[in-house]
Amino acid sequence: MQTNSRRYSVLSYCLAALLMLYASYLLPRLLPGDFVTAMYSSSQVTLNAEQEQELKAFYTQEDGFGGYLLDFFRLSWGHSYAFLEPVSSLILKALPWTLLLMGGAHLFSMLAGFVAGVETAWRRGGTAEKAGVGLMTVLQGIPELGTGVLLLLVFALHLGWFPASGAETAYADQSPVRQVLDVLQHLILPFSTLFLAYFPGNFLLTRGSMVMILKSRFLETARAKGLPPLRVRYAHAARNALLPLVTRFGLRLAFMLTGALVVETLFAYPGLGTLLFNAIAMRDLPLVQGIVLFSSLLVLLVNLALEAVYIRLDPRMKHAS
Amino acid sequence: MNCVIQELSVLYSAEEHQLLALDKVCLELAPGRITALVGESGSGKTTLGKAVMGLLPEDARVQGSIELDQRELVGQPESVFNTVRWSRVAMLFQNGAENLNPVHRIVDQLAEPLIHKQGLAKAEARRQAEQALQGLELDPALGRRFPHELSGGELQRCLLAMAFILDPEMVILDEPTAALDAMSKGLMGRIMCRARERGKALLLITHDLDLAARVADNVLILYLGQVMEILPARDLFPAPDHPYTLALGRSYPGLDTHRELGGIRGDAFYRVLHRHREHNGGVRPHSHIVGREAGHEDGHVPPSGCLFRERCTQAVAECAGQDVPLLRVGDHQVRCLREGIVTALVLEQVAKQYGGVRALQGTDLSLKAGETFCLVGESGSGKSTLAMIAAGILPPDQGRRFFEGRDMEPWIRTDYRSLAQKIGVVHQDPAQAVSHRFSVLEMVAEPLRIQKQVQSKEDLKALVREALKDVHLSTEPGFLKRYPHELNMGALQRVCIARALVTNPSLLVADEPTSSLDPSVQAKVLKMMLDLQIEKGLTMLFVTHDLGVARKIGDRSGVMLAGHLVETGPAAQVLERPAHPYTQSLLEGAGGKMALNPAGEAGRVEQGCSFALRCSRAQPVCRQAFTKPVQSAQRRVACHHPL
Repeated sequence: MQTNSRRYSVLSYCLAALLMLYASYLLPRLLPGDFVTAMYSSSQVTLNAEQEQELKAFYTQEDGFGGYLLDFFRLSWGHSYAFLEPVSSLILKALPWTLLLMGGAHLFSMLAGFVAGVETAWRRGGTAEKAGVGLMTVLQGIPELGTGVLLLLVFALHLGWFPASGAETAYADQSPVRQVLDVLQHLILPFSTLFLAYFPGNFLLTRGSMVMILKSRFLETARAKGLPPLRVRYAHAARNALLPLVTRFGLRLAFMLTGALVVETLFAYPGLGTLLFNAIAMRDLPLVQGIVLFSSLLVLLVNLALEAVYIRLDPRMKHAS
Repeated sequence: MNCVIQELSVLYSAEEHQLLALDKVCLELAPGRITALVGESGSGKTTLGKAVMGLLPEDARVQGSIELDQRELVGQPESVFNTVRWSRVAMLFQNGAENLNPVHRIVDQLAEPLIHKQGLAKAEARRQAEQALQGLELDPALGRRFPHELSGGELQRCLLAMAFILDPEMVILDEPTAALDAMSKGLMGRIMCRARERGKALLLITHDLDLAARVADNVLILYLGQVMEILPARDLFPAPDHPYTLALGRSYPGLDTHRELGGIRGDAFYRVLHRHREHNGGVRPHSHIVGREAGHEDGHVPPSGCLFRERCTQAVAECAGQDVPLLRVGDHQVRCLREGIVTALVLEQVAKQYGGVRALQGTDLSLKAGETFCLVGESGSGKSTLAMIAAGILPPDQGRRFFEGRDMEPWIRTDYRSLAQKIGVVHQDPAQAVSHRFSVLEMVAEPLRIQKQVQSKEDLKALVREALKDVHLSTEPGFLKRYPHELNMGALQRVCIARALVTNPSLLVADEPTSSLDPSVQAKVLKMMLDLQIEKGLTMLFVTHDLGVARKIGDRSGVMLAGHLVETGPAAQVLERPAHPYTQSLLEGAGGKMALNPAGEAGRVEQGCSFALRCSRAQPVCRQAFTKPVQSAQRRVACHHPL
């Protein structure tokens, strides 16, 4: 029963992935014209028929959806004509930076928001709590673009403490330690921007669900059992407040790319977001297509993983799904 | 381990006032004893349990003392309580499933105290937890499940296993059987008794009176935070001393009771304390009871006096005057100025002879205030004679009568009117009990006219209307002018009841009041009489030959045979497990069985038992001498060879 439903869930995710692949295969073919026309229509260069034939053969394969799928698994996702590189190698080069920035910011803001939310809810009723909740509500209303610009102006341009762009200093031949420090220094501003954008929501959500859970009877039981206070707070109370946060984490991941688009572009961080921005700006259709497909598959994968995590977190979910 | 609770008061702060949940409760929990804490919701039962565990919310103010082996717990910080919790005092909370964390496996929650309080390794703790589950007749594999995957009964047993996991010396069980089926309830009772044998001190918090009576040693009755009565559990149903305990028992649908469920008049939800500013600037502390009807404006109860008096049917003016301490009455402790339920009527060796016929021979009878006593027996057995002697209408040839503690003979001689005012009488045949020349108004008003206490005609009419309303009759002017022949039997009997009650008596003697009514009207009249009893606290002496009626309305029953009261006791016992063969014959006759000895015949035996001729158990001795009644527990039987 249990394994059945899990197998069913994995199957449905595979089906969704297949549908996505098919859409990404079909959509460009439904567009009027083709890549090559699109690429050279606005340029000064005029192609003769032979060159056009050759380019078209290079950028489009016509061996059907089966061939497309095969190519996909071979990581041959087409060729970027703006960067003149295979799409897959471009994506794989940008991916680590995005994972570092976006994944890091997501994880860290979730952990910090969780702990802060739990502790604040535990000490509820004080003025510090009320002030904190107020401040966080205001912060939550500011979009990351606003915070980003502000941080950039103050700390990079005005104070000059941090570099304003890039992920590392180019062409600097440094020792590994210096290199790590250099990466961190570049990371701080975009990371803080994202942290400030995500932390308040996580904090408020955790605090809210924690306040509800503090009324539960099982906490009284835990207290009555004479357990150490930290165990009561985390193993019993916070454990139950974790669920909505994990749900939020999953939802947020779906927006990871758009978040990256804004912040990475702002700080010229060489991640997927910047890559996507440039691809759109240069009408590099194969690249756009590749990034969109890649990130949507990523979201699917993360959701699948989260579903497994859910059941581990809350056994009641097993019957709900 | 001894747990001594002294003068424990708990106050919760609400917006403007304070809620008094417990008021100077004293209690001792000793090893090997089960103490039951019984009371309506809001009486402070759970608060007491939580106070011992140190689990009261922060806004609760605790006064008094809770000593665990001479160590004071009140006012101690959380860390001190933590040393006591679960290892010495554990608690089974009410509401089953909500007390378990939904995301942890049962076995882990059971093992948790073993790991964190005893420092056991995880595997060993789990093994012991599974053993504990097995000890409560549960499959240890259940432990691998999560709380939502278990049934209510299984969960309650898991919680119980958890409470006993560290083998604590004391366990507080809060409503352990509230949501359980009868089988699990039985198991719960057995587990509690087993724990008692192992020397545990148990505090059973429950509103299940039946459970308390069966498993507990003694019972504390809690009302609005005050202990009203402390009594041995065996006396809970048959012999309570406090009117509140009696009313609670009547409200409980036990398997042994056949009487219609009673209730308690009025409402009381909780008690608040607050301060009133007075005109001279002073502040007066002030407490009152909040009920459904008793709002702040009209529900003020002064800070002193008995808390139950507004709902008590035997309250007197002095009850409001002073705080009542717990008084020792026999082996009970009762918080009642009148030392518990008062005795309304006592008859000692009363006898009556009509010519040569000895209608009643040396009979004792005593009625407690507020109870219904049913006299049953075959016709000619002396039921009506005894009832009329009790009502003060018929003088006995010998014996003494006391009503509300006063000797009735001088009372009748000197001031019969004031006695008649306190005793209402309803006769068997309503058609003969009224003058057909009187209208309804005149019939009901007659006792008032005789009493001469009401002067104005309007007041008289108002009282009559009220009495008619009490018996669910019309109070229209047209109805007041009707004559008996215009009324049907049911209505006429109600007029008679209204007439008996119009002087507000404390004793109602009713001689076959419903035998002339058809069943549907009888049901209405009986229900109405029981309701009036709850509201007015009437003591009722009810004569009937209908055993079904006796079972439905009686608290106690007496069986009459040839002028003797041969068996008395709680109605449920007498009519369920008769001790006298005569009672059994009556029951069999009522059930349509013809089990009477065919060789026997009705007749009077001059010396011995009158039933001897018809009795299948009769021996020669039965015909030679009549035996004196023998008292055991609540029952009295006069038979040489009781069943």
